[in-house]
Amino acid sequence: MKRIVLIIIVILGVLQACRTPYDPEIPAEQSSFLVVEAYLDSEGLRSELKLSRSAPIDSEFEFTPETGAVITLSSTTGESYGLPEAADGTYIFQADISEDKTYTLDILLQNGERYRSKEMKPIITPEIIDAGFLTDEEGVEIFVTTQGDANADDFLWTYEETWIYRPRIRTGFIYDASIGNVRDRTQEEQIELCFRSEVSPDILLETSSRFAEQVVFRKTIAEIPRGDERIMERYSILVSQKAIEEDAVKFWEILKKNTEDIGSIFSPLPSLIKGNIENVDDASTPVVGQVSLGVVRQTRLYIDRVEVAPWNYLDPEFNDCVIEEEPTLIASYQSKFGNGSALPARVYMPAGGTTVLGYFASQRRCSDCTLYASAIRPDFWEDE
Amino acid sequence: MRKKLLLFSILLSILSAQATFSQQTDRITGFFPGTSFIRFVEIVEQETAYRFYLKESEVEDLTVNLQAKDDRLEDVLAVIFDKTDLKFSISTDKEVFISRGEKLLVRFPADYFLRNTAKDASTGVQDEFVRNRRYTVGVAGPGNEAKLSGVVTSLESQKPIDGAIVYEKESQRQTITNREGKYEILLPKGNQTLLIQNIGGYTEQRLLDIQGDATLDITIGEGVFSLSEVVVRSGALSNVTRPEMGVQSLTVQQMRKLPAVMGEVDIIRGILTMPGVNTAGEASVGFNVRGGAADQNLILLDQNTLYNPSHLFGFFSAVNADMVQGVELYKAGIPASYGGRLSSVLQVTPKTGRQDKIGGSGGIGPMTGRLSLDGPIGENTTFVLGTRLTYSDWLLDYLEERADLGASRAQFGDFNASVQHRFSEKDKIRISGYYSKDKFQFDPDTVYSYSNLNYAATWTHYFNDRVEADFSVGQDNYDFQVQGEDNALNAYRYGFDVTQNFAKALFRHEKGDKHIFTYGFHGILYDLNPGEINPFGAESIVIPDRVPREKGLEASLFFGDEYELNDKITLSGGLRLNWFGNFGPQTLPDYASGEPFLPENITGESTYQDGELIKSYLGPELRLSGRYALNNWSSIKAGVNTMRQNIHLLSNSSVITPTDTWKLSDGYLKPQTGIQYALGYFRNMANNALEFSVEGYYRTMNNLLDYRSGATLVLNDRIEQDVLVTKGRAYGLELYLKKLTGKLNGSIAYTYSRSLMQTDPSEQKEQVNRSEWYPSNFDQPHTANVVLNYELSRRVNTTLAGKYSTGRPVTLPSAKFEYAGSERVYFADRNSFRIPDYFRLDLSINLEGNHKVDKVAHGSWSLGVYNVLGRDNAYSVYYIPEDGKLKGYQLAIFAEPIPFVSYNFRF
Repeated sequence: MKRIVLIIIVILGVLQACRTPYDPEIPAEQSSFLVVEAYLDSEGLRSELKLSRSAPIDSEFEFTPETGAVITLSSTTGESYGLPEAADGTYIFQADISEDKTYTLDILLQNGERYRSKEMKPIITPEIIDAGFLTDEEGVEIFVTTQGDANADDFLWTYEETWIYRPRIRTGFIYDASIGNVRDRTQEEQIELCFRSEVSPDILLETSSRFAEQVVFRKTIAEIPRGDERIMERYSILVSQKAIEEDAVKFWEILKKNTEDIGSIFSPLPSLIKGNIENVDDASTPVVGQVSLGVVRQTRLYIDRVEVAPWNYLDPEFNDCVIEEEPTLIASYQSKFGNGSALPARVYMPAGGTTVLGYFASQRRCSDCTLYASAIRPDFWEDE
Repeated sequence: MRKKLLLFSILLSILSAQATFSQQTDRITGFFPGTSFIRFVEIVEQETAYRFYLKESEVEDLTVNLQAKDDRLEDVLAVIFDKTDLKFSISTDKEVFISRGEKLLVRFPADYFLRNTAKDASTGVQDEFVRNRRYTVGVAGPGNEAKLSGVVTSLESQKPIDGAIVYEKESQRQTITNREGKYEILLPKGNQTLLIQNIGGYTEQRLLDIQGDATLDITIGEGVFSLSEVVVRSGALSNVTRPEMGVQSLTVQQMRKLPAVMGEVDIIRGILTMPGVNTAGEASVGFNVRGGAADQNLILLDQNTLYNPSHLFGFFSAVNADMVQGVELYKAGIPASYGGRLSSVLQVTPKTGRQDKIGGSGGIGPMTGRLSLDGPIGENTTFVLGTRLTYSDWLLDYLEERADLGASRAQFGDFNASVQHRFSEKDKIRISGYYSKDKFQFDPDTVYSYSNLNYAATWTHYFNDRVEADFSVGQDNYDFQVQGEDNALNAYRYGFDVTQNFAKALFRHEKGDKHIFTYGFHGILYDLNPGEINPFGAESIVIPDRVPREKGLEASLFFGDEYELNDKITLSGGLRLNWFGNFGPQTLPDYASGEPFLPENITGESTYQDGELIKSYLGPELRLSGRYALNNWSSIKAGVNTMRQNIHLLSNSSVITPTDTWKLSDGYLKPQTGIQYALGYFRNMANNALEFSVEGYYRTMNNLLDYRSGATLVLNDRIEQDVLVTKGRAYGLELYLKKLTGKLNGSIAYTYSRSLMQTDPSEQKEQVNRSEWYPSNFDQPHTANVVLNYELSRRVNTTLAGKYSTGRPVTLPSAKFEYAGSERVYFADRNSFRIPDYFRLDLSINLEGNHKVDKVAHGSWSLGVYNVLGRDNAYSVYYIPEDGKLKGYQLAIFAEPIPFVSYNFRF
């Protein structure tokens, strides 16, 4: 039914004989406020807290991290833990804290503004009972199964995907201008095996008490349509399971809904997002952030193409990628490969010969995976 | 008809001019701005043959404040001595005797020999002064009331007139002549203004000083010039004397003077010039009354409910103004016989057929053509037939070149028909039908259409002089469809419809002289299809889906009384008992008790059989208002009324869109309820030429519908999971000044009003703006409307209309931020911004054709400019991503001056 809504937008668009820019004056404090994001692990897993500033809606700039803040987590009984800044706007928490106490988080910004969280109690997230995937003709569905308990009813899952990315035409050769010749690529220079990585913006929520014995059975985390790039060779997903308190559910729900729509004429009325952080001196200052304490349960899955075959990945963008039929001879190396737009792809060795006379070239965009992904192998990556 | 009237008035003016000439020395002309009476006497003695005899001490404080033009001295003195105990007598020798208390008898009264049988003096063409002269009738006797009786006859045929209304202006008493033209009415003694109206014809007036029981025979003609300010209709309103408040009426003549969009006379645009009535968007279907939502208005076309009162997305009203006699909008003081919506009742009174001959009217405008016919069929039957059809495609084609309208097509039409038959003196029946259809498309593949279909039969029975009743039955239907076929695989047809069958009995009973009872029963059977989607065409793979049909029954008993306590105080009150039941078949989820209606709280489900009661609600509605007359020209009124509404429009965008569907109250959604308190001061000035009123009101509303973030309303069969229990309150002050007569007439209205909502603090699903009060989508604090009409001549009149209002609230994304791996949008508090203020001026000129008697048709031209200033008033604002960033735009619909011409004719 979204269609109808869309069509109506089109209709009104049609009438826009007179569409003029609209720039309402938005008070500065409404367009640049503090954003706090963290799920702090209470069992010593290194967790990040991110501080940043929001930007005006029409801004083209990147979000600015909030640096130099002093952040402290303190318990009601007096223990306190600092969160040192590891990178701009990224603060690290790594401590095994008692799960029986309640804590508050204090943030002192460089400009003197003070923020404090509501009282938080760590929630011990139950283990992921099972994680796996199902295959059908539509594609692959990745799921987890878990069971809630008296303390952990609501769950939030986030995931990070990593997959091998291969160029259409692989090559192990490189033109080295310093020697004026083509040679084999070193391990560092390789461009045929890359890794793409994405943090999913999906917000997955579930309440376990909806189900018998609080068992969340095979909750769908991600769906990969058949033929998708992600399983062109080997795919990995890291699923994080976090139990959250009820207030946090509302925060995440609003965040999720507000993301799906962006204030068009017929879009549903959005609602205000806030979280559990407040300005100590002026409660009316906008601030967005829901900080939770608890245990993050993670599981990593790998899926290989053979497991889900047939999986015909073919990006039409590269359908014109072919190896040139005319070889490039040594005399032309510099002019052909010098500017980097073409790469030596295959050896030209006439039949019966034993000497390389030249190379058949391919376009760089067809052969260099580093244009689209990273050639650096992630630390966690395991081969089969 | 009008042609005749105009002709007559010209004749009349020529005649009266001659009369003036011949008796010039007897007539008084002059401007007396607070002149002392003594000075006035001197002037009159200088200019006329009259000689005054008076005691200076009795008149020394008296001042004369009037403008006279060829007026008779009797009339002038009557005005001057009004509200004093001074009396005057004029002898045949033009001697004027002024005395206090007792009237001096200088001769036998002119009507001395006619006492008890005062005969109307008019013969042939009636002198206008007949109506302004005060007749003394009857012989003084005991008691405060006297019986007046007589015969009303036709001026032309000398035959008695059947069914003429005899009506007294102040006390609002009225009666109807019988077949022999006889009438009998009980009136308070003293000075009274008697109005006699021939149905469908014109009104005659007599000023009477009633001393005792008397006979008064009156001749009245169709062509008699009628004073425009005394149009008597049932429920005719008088600013000061009616007990109800918050009632606005508008005649079709007044509507015609307003500048029209595309030349279409429009009833909804007409009521938008009144205080307390707003619209959220320039071309939106609905209107908002006193801070209420658009679905809280009951729009009645005679007895039928119109679910969608507009054509083409709200550009035009769906009711053809040619078919309308007048509209009445009840913002408060809603009679007990009406109910079912929370904010207002808009009663559209359709035209009734003329009785003399078949006539008609029509018009040609840039968008539509109209034609209507009405007249008698046989002796006791009249009919009205009218249609309006669009040929707007050429206009869209023309606009297409300028505005890239694509393959837009729009067609609409409406059709009215009614027949009225009088079986006997005591029984008449009226059968009426209305159909409207809209079909439009903005791209070749998607067709929208909707239609209203209404019909009703009403039987009116007069039990006796004091009791009459209307019995009506009928059906109202509204149907909406979208058909999309841009791709055969996804071709679909989506639609919803509402059908209601109703039966109503309304009794009107005059009990004694002080009570008018209205009582009766009103039942409505609802059958709703809230929405369904089906594949369209053989190839389509769209999965059919439907929200189960809903059935409901609403039954109301009502009783109202208008009670005249004394001269000062009139009360009008009523009680309406409303029962609503929602019926199966239905399968509904059970939610854990005390938990919010959310999927996770479903514990099971219940199945209800066809006709099984699912949930019922019973509640009283109280209507009370009273008038306290401060004096003859001003009064204070106060009122309180409560309302209930069982059918709701699901809409979460700020303007009503055709896809908004209807929903009945059920086990989860309670009926909307509201209470309104109102207080007002009403005053007529400058000899009733100016009407002024101030009204203040305060309303609270419960169980309003607002929605969770991101709620989808289309094809949502568990709407209770997205509805937030919301309270509303509204308050405001309305100032209204209206000038009815003179070359320059018109009205000025200013309204300050607020409309606020609050998520109930107990609501667990979501709390909008932290459960604080927030402005509703149509909260527009300042609204001003000006309508100025200037009659350049009898044939040319110009109207300037202006409207200003505060921009309506919107929720805007105010910032963006990064969270959980993605860019997110931050919305400011709901409705915390406003679109720019709205201001528009329209101008129109109406040109009447010449008044030759033997013309076949009487034509008139209406031309003008809508939005003269070409201001691009924002209709809406929205954001779209452009090059990776969100850009705000405001959309104006009529951003340029839009000229129009239309030709109307009457025959």
